[in-house]
Amino acid sequence: MRSIILILIIFLISLCSLSAQDNLIIKWNYQDLSFKDFASKVESESPARFFYRDEWINDLKLGFYGENIPLSKLLDNLFAGLSLYYFIDGTGDIVITKDFVVKISEEQAMDSLKLVPPTVYYDVQDEKKLSGNLFLEIGNPAEKNRTGNVVVSGYITDKDTKEPVSGATVYVRKLSTGTSSNAYGFYSLTLPRGIHLVQFSFVGMNEIKVDLNLYGTGEMNIEMKSTLIPLKEAVVSAERNATLQRPEVGMEKMNVATLRLTPTNMGEADIVNSFLMVPGVQTVGEGASGFNVRGGSAGQNLILLNGAPLYNTSHFFGFFSAVNADIIKDATLYKGGIPSRFGGRTSSVLDIAARDGSRKEFAGNAGISPVTTHLTIEGPLLKDTLFYLLAARTTYSNWIFKVFDNAYLNNSKAAFYDLNGEITYDINKNNKIDLSSYYSHDAFSFNSDTTYKYSNNIVALRWRHFFTSRFFSVFSVNNSHYNYDISSESIITEAFIMSHTINSTGLKADFNLFKGRHEINFGVDAVRYAVSPGDYMPASDSSLVIPNSIQKEKALETSVYIEDRFTLNDHVSINAGIRFPSFFTFGPRSVYIYDPSYSKGISTIIDTVYYGSGEICKAYAGPEYRISLNLRPSGTSSFKLNYNRTRQYLHLLSNTASISPTDIYKLSDSYLKPQICDQYAVGFYQLLFNGGLETSVELYYKSLKNMIDFKGGTRIIMEENIEQYLIDATGKAYGIEFLIKRDEGRLRWSLGYSFSRTFLKSTGTFSDEIINDGEWFPANYDKPNDLSVAFNYLATRRLSFSANYVYSTGRPITYPIASYQMGNMNLLHYSDRNKYRIPDYMRLDIGLSISGSLKSKKIANPYWTFSVYNLLGRDNVYSVYFTNEDNVIRGYQLSVFANAIPSVTFSFDF
Amino acid sequence: MNLRKYFIILLYIIASAGCITQFIPETEETQSLLVVEGLITDQPGENTVRLSRSQPIGSYTDPEPVKGCKVTIEDDGGNIYILHEGEPGTYLTDPAIFQGAVGRKYTLHIEARNASGKLSSYRSFSMEMNPVPPIDSIYYEKQLINNDDDSPQEGCQVYLNTIDPEGLCKYYRWDFDETWEFKLPYDVDNQICWASDKSDAINIKSTSALTENVIYRHPVNFITNETDRLNIKYSMLINQYSISEDEFGYWKRIQNISDDVGGLYDIIPASITGNVYCTDDPNETVLGYFSVSAKSSKRIMIADSFAGLRHDFNAYCGTDTVPSGIQIPGLGTSLWIIIEYDAYRVLTRYRECADCSYRGSTMRPDYWDEK
Repeated sequence: MRSIILILIIFLISLCSLSAQDNLIIKWNYQDLSFKDFASKVESESPARFFYRDEWINDLKLGFYGENIPLSKLLDNLFAGLSLYYFIDGTGDIVITKDFVVKISEEQAMDSLKLVPPTVYYDVQDEKKLSGNLFLEIGNPAEKNRTGNVVVSGYITDKDTKEPVSGATVYVRKLSTGTSSNAYGFYSLTLPRGIHLVQFSFVGMNEIKVDLNLYGTGEMNIEMKSTLIPLKEAVVSAERNATLQRPEVGMEKMNVATLRLTPTNMGEADIVNSFLMVPGVQTVGEGASGFNVRGGSAGQNLILLNGAPLYNTSHFFGFFSAVNADIIKDATLYKGGIPSRFGGRTSSVLDIAARDGSRKEFAGNAGISPVTTHLTIEGPLLKDTLFYLLAARTTYSNWIFKVFDNAYLNNSKAAFYDLNGEITYDINKNNKIDLSSYYSHDAFSFNSDTTYKYSNNIVALRWRHFFTSRFFSVFSVNNSHYNYDISSESIITEAFIMSHTINSTGLKADFNLFKGRHEINFGVDAVRYAVSPGDYMPASDSSLVIPNSIQKEKALETSVYIEDRFTLNDHVSINAGIRFPSFFTFGPRSVYIYDPSYSKGISTIIDTVYYGSGEICKAYAGPEYRISLNLRPSGTSSFKLNYNRTRQYLHLLSNTASISPTDIYKLSDSYLKPQICDQYAVGFYQLLFNGGLETSVELYYKSLKNMIDFKGGTRIIMEENIEQYLIDATGKAYGIEFLIKRDEGRLRWSLGYSFSRTFLKSTGTFSDEIINDGEWFPANYDKPNDLSVAFNYLATRRLSFSANYVYSTGRPITYPIASYQMGNMNLLHYSDRNKYRIPDYMRLDIGLSISGSLKSKKIANPYWTFSVYNLLGRDNVYSVYFTNEDNVIRGYQLSVFANAIPSVTFSFDF
Repeated sequence: MNLRKYFIILLYIIASAGCITQFIPETEETQSLLVVEGLITDQPGENTVRLSRSQPIGSYTDPEPVKGCKVTIEDDGGNIYILHEGEPGTYLTDPAIFQGAVGRKYTLHIEARNASGKLSSYRSFSMEMNPVPPIDSIYYEKQLINNDDDSPQEGCQVYLNTIDPEGLCKYYRWDFDETWEFKLPYDVDNQICWASDKSDAINIKSTSALTENVIYRHPVNFITNETDRLNIKYSMLINQYSISEDEFGYWKRIQNISDDVGGLYDIIPASITGNVYCTDDPNETVLGYFSVSAKSSKRIMIADSFAGLRHDFNAYCGTDTVPSGIQIPGLGTSLWIIIEYDAYRVLTRYRECADCSYRGSTMRPDYWDEK
């Protein structure tokens, strides 16, 4: 039997439940009044207010229960046998409920409460035993003599914004069982009939404990409230149980509150920089775009913004993430167990969810930092149905160039901006639509010489449809466009513009079905890619540049997947999934055939094959298995096993140490095979000190097939037939990651350490396809030791202090080991690939946040963030290079930030 | 695409927070590798193969020549030509018995002692000599150098065109010898001289991706206004070589790793070797290249007026006037006489200001009156 129960969450406003209304005596004649009339008469005579649903009391007429009767007694009589209950809170509100009883507990949690046999129930009157903030009954009390398991499910929403809370933990400590809510805030938990204390917790929200009399399957919707701390930074975390519950190894969730706790670089809260504190996530250096996850290259990360891929993730040469932190609701990084619904990249998925606009009232935020200024406004357009959010961020750095008394700098420019817009439409309870768009633009030029520009443009439309309360779907369509161009008009006759473009259109249908102990996810998606590898065009009429275009690439990637998250019992859960992507490249295209007995080159072409428009040139397909097993021997520990296969058809070709603004995207073709990664991971998780300390150890081994490397000294821009420059390589990566974290109280800290290695090996047969004699060599991002320590101290409600410390082994580098002369030229001879390392990296940052006012209703709520990046002023080496100056070879080491960089950010909410 | 440039800008943005410091890497390798620089062409005259050794990074001495080697060239007809050593480390063909021919293949053999003194045998790939078309034309354009000064400043950009109607040559390399006349502003004995230099940059081009075998407006060299090259008359002899695809790739890679370095996005450097290898030890790295190519040459003379030339002897030389008859210590070693009058002498600290033969030759080249 299913009974729909309306849940009203009542916080512990007052422990004094005996209020005036409780003793209100009805002295007037109430007989035969309808309940509605009765209620309005009571409301007119006293401060009491009734809350109820009309359909419950439509036919309800009052009888006679005695003169001068207390209100409570009258209601007791009236509701007797109607499964209606009432609750009078401290402020005089009388809340009528149907099918369940609300009780405010007057007791704190009682640890002595023993696990009771499943079919024992609380007596409704027996308040003493209750420990939660709320008492609920689910199911038909008539079934109280039955035993066995039933399913409790429902939605968790934010009380203020009405947005779904995804990733909230639902946990029953006595059974050490639990789950977490999905992207729509839905959760489903299988529990034995009986009494339970269910905890709902989420980062930055007040924990809710519900005492449950569970008679049968039913729904329990929960509204959670943000912690009432004016500092955005001050959050209470309750993720710790979630880690134990998830089947997957290697998942990190970060919400905007955590993000804001990290000290900033030049005053900007930054999503990617925050993830760099997670063990297993590294970057090749400051100013390097992209990040490396567990020995994967930066091009192997799938970065999703509202479900759409983001192709360039950085601004300003890579110092800032392309996504404005103000619009982020939360971000999840999957470094190990990648759910089957994601595919297309081998290393990781960073899923960034943008916020919906405020559902309550118009709100906004504006701020200024040394480099940028930003403005966000949001609010409802139509009450309860249509909401918007608009955000803009821009640099005003160009003026800095004017400050310097230097003609060269005066003519230089570097600027970026990004814009976000989001409209959410709640059509009805079962249908929600959101439309989001994102645009970012970067431009830089030096001394009016060469100008570099790049832009991302994303439009995503999603329709969430709930077939039933246990069967959901999301249909989405998105388009993501990225292009860059390099232009120069300094020599009029050679004025050129070179551009590279990738455009992808994705269609996706995801389904999510809860059935007993199973959560089944399945879906299909299709992505159409169009890549324009390079167009070299005259930039003006007087330019003599000969137009040159490298032939376009077109492809379709389609996938189907199905995955079952199965909770076998309280100690064992399994997630087994399979994803099957297929990939087709289409003509028109001409493909060279090379003589297989020689290295690919112009002179070894033996034939050319032409494919007509729409003709399939090459197809690839293969299954990806995703399997996780979670064993929970106790309520405080968990052991997980994970195997994952991922395939990648879209490659980011980069022959530089880090992602550069001139890297190119390339689709798999006859020569470029899909990259395949198999990851085996084991994780052990233990809560210590009653959950106050979270610890984890994760181990992984990855084997990487069809990795890409380049023949020595290859530039990849505007190269027709890039296959002539590519080298096949294979890779392996392994590592161990430790994390200790304290996430509650005023003093919070985390300590992460990882030891990891990543090696590549060329597998070519010809001399120019072999690197380091075909031996294993460390990848550019192989940084074995990596330590990060984060520390936060919430001194008062208005003041918080934070510090970060990071240390890592210097990245590998190829050094010149000799110089020699050819004609008039001095040339350098280099060592084996990545034989040496730059010096170790170390950095300490500190931050201080001050909130101007505690009053949340003040018109503008200002806050200040002070931070010092690289406090110790350590001269961290980014790279080493050598130049030939007047025929003398000189070596230089280049550091990006050699000094401490202080910054101040001022923002205010309105 | 000078990515280093914008990195430097970035440093300004963050208030000089970043930094570039000089650095010599500590490597455990002290390799002294054989460097081969060989060129044989289809032109009459001597062909040279220069052998030297690589040096540790940061050494400022001239490369050490590899003396006393047995160097031979073998053609595909089985003929073996012995090269004799001229200057130390420079091995020359005998013009009387050897001249390269288009269509033939040549292999270089070297017997040399390696760094540890062991006699090793080295060998190049067999390289075919491809034909080269003549240079069609060489021409120059004045180019405004974008500067913030009010007075315009001009440099000289030299271009060439080459037409290869039969499409015999796909890969080109150019180098040049430049000569210019300069005149000291003082009335000294050696006042007018001719200075010479050689190109010091890699200049290559492939026409394999072009539909027509025409090279049009290919930049050969840019002459800035900061030297005295453009003051009076300038001449450039451009040599055009038909190189192999392999050699083209070799120079391309060398170019990629040696130009435009020092930014955030440098391409990953690599050890680049050419077409010479050690037959005794395949793991021994041999640097350099044995180039076999036909050669065509053409000369351009430039006598034009360029605006804003910056080379000014008067500002550079700095003179001092002293009375005659005084003992001047260091005269002839660190001080030089520009003008000697009865009553006084005008001295300078730089020998090149007092004697043009220090930088050039007083011999007027025989082609100097050509247009």
